[in-house]
Amino acid sequence: MARRPEGPWDPGLQIERTTLAWLRTTLAFVIGLLVLLRLMGHVNLLAALICAALALPLGLTIGWLLWRRHLDGERRLRERAPLPGGALPAAVTALAVVAGCSGLAFVLFA
Amino acid sequence: MASDREEHSRWPKRLYEQGDEPDPRFTLANERTFLAWIRTALALMAGGVGIEALNAVTGHPNPLRTALAVALLLAGVLCSATAFTRWMTTERALRQGRPLPAPRLAPALGYGLGVIGVASCVLLLLTGV
Repeated sequence: MARRPEGPWDPGLQIERTTLAWLRTTLAFVIGLLVLLRLMGHVNLLAALICAALALPLGLTIGWLLWRRHLDGERRLRERAPLPGGALPAAVTALAVVAGCSGLAFVLFA
Repeated sequence: MASDREEHSRWPKRLYEQGDEPDPRFTLANERTFLAWIRTALALMAGGVGIEALNAVTGHPNPLRTALAVALLLAGVLCSATAFTRWMTTERALRQGRPLPAPRLAPALGYGLGVIGVASCVLLLLTGV
């Protein structure tokens, strides 16, 4: 791969703003998860630990996919190739729905 | 060409089969809007779980508090579930050069949050927590 070109792709810094939006969203996920696990720890410590063990690799994977999407997007913009598709947004949507349903389960059954 | 192959492997296929590639800046803006909706959904869920946590902290579970928590969590689930379909319809409209879809959830969410705010005030006056 060629050396990363200097300077942004456009003066609006679109890709940078988009990646930052992804980062904020990931942070919101992680913080929400930590709070939920903390609360769950009061009810069932084992379940909380299992959830944490499952969530940690998931979070790292999302972070890695995110970074790859950024580099890929930047390369495609410069090559005038189409941007990445909707697989990651769909995955994040599914994750958010799962998070909401676990929250509901926590409120109704814990 | 590499970009041709990438174009055909993009998901969801039925979205990318129609129309032309839009200005990438619009695609990126659409993605940011989608992410903002997801963050809104997460904030709603966090609010719901937070209100429910008050039940445990105070030691006096209040059904109104639980109802508020459930309402916020349901709003969060609805918000996140519709975020992706909206992203897709917007992207489709961009590809076909049609006007963007109206944000139907935004007014409902606005008024809904107003009602939840009023309910929270009532709760605060009744219980002091």
